[in-house]
Amino acid sequence: MSSANPGLAYEDTPPLSAPLRFFLTAPLFGIAAGVLLLADGELLVSRWTPGALSAVHLFAAGFMLQVMLGALLQILPVVAGAGFPAPLRIATITHALVGSGAASLAYGLGAGSPNAIIAGGVLLAAGLLTFLAASLVALARAAPAQGASRTPRDLRLALGALGLTTLFGIMLALVLGRGLALPFALPTLVDLHAIWAWLGWGGLLLAATSWVVVPMFQITPAYPARFTQLWAPVTLAVLTLWSVSLLAGVELAVSVLGSVLIALSAAFALQTLKLQRSTRRSTPDAPFRAFRMSMIALVGSVIALLLALLHDAPQWPVLAGVLVLHGTFAGAISAMLYKIVPFLTWLHLTQARVRAPNMKKLLPDVLIRRQILVHGAALGALVLAVFVPVLTPLAGLLVVIEFGWLLLNLLHAVREWHRAAHA
Amino acid sequence: MNAQTVDARGLEPPEPFERAMEAIMALQPGHAFTLLLDRMPHPLLRVLDRDGYMHDERFREDGCVEILISRP
Repeated sequence: MSSANPGLAYEDTPPLSAPLRFFLTAPLFGIAAGVLLLADGELLVSRWTPGALSAVHLFAAGFMLQVMLGALLQILPVVAGAGFPAPLRIATITHALVGSGAASLAYGLGAGSPNAIIAGGVLLAAGLLTFLAASLVALARAAPAQGASRTPRDLRLALGALGLTTLFGIMLALVLGRGLALPFALPTLVDLHAIWAWLGWGGLLLAATSWVVVPMFQITPAYPARFTQLWAPVTLAVLTLWSVSLLAGVELAVSVLGSVLIALSAAFALQTLKLQRSTRRSTPDAPFRAFRMSMIALVGSVIALLLALLHDAPQWPVLAGVLVLHGTFAGAISAMLYKIVPFLTWLHLTQARVRAPNMKKLLPDVLIRRQILVHGAALGALVLAVFVPVLTPLAGLLVVIEFGWLLLNLLHAVREWHRAAHA
Repeated sequence: MNAQTVDARGLEPPEPFERAMEAIMALQPGHAFTLLLDRMPHPLLRVLDRDGYMHDERFREDGCVEILISRP
């Protein structure tokens, strides 16, 4: 043992470029979705239009998935003690496969190209299976979870749901691209894929990270222990029963269990909003406001889903989709990115024994606030465009600006990191 | 052994990290301090292992983590 204090090295932290590549390419998919909206005024008329299918996948398999995978590379070692084997290599392979797969799939769905759909599905599946396999290795090597945090358990559940979402997605690609015959109706498979993607994977991941990130960055009390203990397992159990009922064609069970899933989503949003009201922050910063807007959008999507259960009008599912994808996920993801990216740049500067600027200097709140305002305006325009299609191009323009600005803000933090590292 | 307490609970990142690092870097051989955090700091524990610090952590009744960090 040396008498001088040994230096503190952090080789276990993934290299900054591992998560950063996902975070910086993600907004490009959001911009592409905005361009589609800008170009196709009829895109939001129904959830089944080629443009809508393409835009949904640019958002979900492009923007959302990129950020989620990048964040998991960082979060699993930190909150679950699960370090990825060769994180840089996993990041390089996964990023290339998932990025090109999402682009190909979105093109194939929009242009009606079976080959592009198949190629996209195969690339996405290869990327996701690589990531899932690496995650399993990381989690298997992690020490058993201690304490009351349910995040490690719920991250595992979310990864399981991602596997199932991928399976349904591959089946859909084979149906659309190669005419695979199904023993049940195509919309059933689409619904299974969509709800496992949104609630099973996206919802559980959002919840698992919220258990940690909301109290940590928004300075709120912790989520009630009973709530975090039950929410994800109950949601997953009900989702499984709902899926079985759907496949078995038991309509009453589908309606009842679907209502329970909607109630569980509302419970998560309302619980988070309640915690945010107890924040010890004197002045909420821009990411705090963005996260609150995201939870309000989730409540709105719950109302839209209930209306969709009561009425057959095609607008309600589209409205629910807009509020879930753009309102809830894009809002929450942006809020988290605005905390994660400055923190990571700060952490890597500190590890390199560089005197790191204050995090607020790495990414000033004023820049975030302006971009979040555009996000709110884009969401409002998208909601209106569901009912007034002539507004769709305006909504598209705002979405392009929103994601372009998000990218510029993230690049600002990267530039500050680069400047400090080479000062 | 001289044990002080560094309370880094309820602070927004990176402040808990900064406080822990300051205390660790100032730790003299044969001394120890108690670190209070809202959650288990897995990366910090790996670093402490690698760099030869002793640590003993436990979850308290109130859910926070108490870590006794000592330098042999």
